[in-house]
Amino acid sequence: MLGKSFSFLCIISLLATFLTKNEKALADSIFGGAAKSVTVVISILGLMTLWNGILEVLKDAGVIEKLSKLLRPILKHIFPRAFKENTATEEITACVSANILGLSNATTPLALLAIGKMNEGRKSDKATNDMITLAILGCACFNIIPTTVIAMRVSQGASITYELLVPVWICSFVCMTVGIILCRLIGKICGDT
Amino acid sequence: MEILERISYYILPLILLIVALIILFGKKDYFDSFLRGAKNGAVSAVNLLPTLCALIVGVSMLTASGAGELLSQLVSPFFDKIGVPKELFPLILTRPISGSASLATFGELLSQNGADSFPALCASLIMASSDTFVYVICVYFSQVGIKKTRHALPVAIFVSCLSILLSCILCRIFY
Repeated sequence: MLGKSFSFLCIISLLATFLTKNEKALADSIFGGAAKSVTVVISILGLMTLWNGILEVLKDAGVIEKLSKLLRPILKHIFPRAFKENTATEEITACVSANILGLSNATTPLALLAIGKMNEGRKSDKATNDMITLAILGCACFNIIPTTVIAMRVSQGASITYELLVPVWICSFVCMTVGIILCRLIGKICGDT
Repeated sequence: MEILERISYYILPLILLIVALIILFGKKDYFDSFLRGAKNGAVSAVNLLPTLCALIVGVSMLTASGAGELLSQLVSPFFDKIGVPKELFPLILTRPISGSASLATFGELLSQNGADSFPALCASLIMASSDTFVYVICVYFSQVGIKKTRHALPVAIFVSCLSILLSCILCRIFY
């Protein structure tokens, strides 16, 4: 997927250069781009190091587990079948907590574990409603603190950094809620597999 | 709103305070946990470099060649109508597919328009409130052998479009 994206970008750029005659800018941009990738990594390196250290402490001290417990009563209504049959509930709560904290590296393995457990003993190749809801939460979830975005903005000299949190909370919360409601509605109408 | 904004400043310091208290009064050596996690974070950030390098070169070429401008011009009548700045087009294309590709376009967008410009603010909201839905749906379901994802993709597309529109509306209200 990424390889194809890279090839497309290069080919389209070359073709466009024949039209726009920006040869010099194109050649310069290759060096500039390679150098910029290092700047981007450096700009998020510090905050990612700090944030992952913080989260490891919270995980080891059981704070994340407590957060998961707080989420359980809410998640019961969002994943009715999983909680009724008591399958994968721990994996689901862990995955949603990771999503809320913006632990993007941890969410995918946790989600795979949860979906794998929900799929145990099933023969159908159709997704269940709860699996789809979990995937939608993976696409749009309430986000307490978008560390990467803030780190990038700070490194680019933005003056609006933390002020962004309020609109981020509103936007991510609305998107998540709409996603969940849509999933539950469609699930109700079409039934489950 | 002002109270919420105040709270937003305190979030990170408060989390740090909790961590500090845990390290001070915890039964185990929690600073060890911190160092272990921090190391993993540093390693995963550096591991991004090879992918980011290729993609940022690609995105820079796209902008420098003028192709980005041509493509944006193509969609700008439509984007104008729904109130989305045309500069967001590359981000909207890459956001669903890959985290590192969208990070590359996001960085380019910030440096091209200035981090406090209207398109950059909208882009920041989009980056923070939506994720790579094509990637998520492909990986989540294919790993366990599920082929029929039913309404997952339509709902994901709808939510992503909502996040784009809502981001632009919120930026207009707030800034």
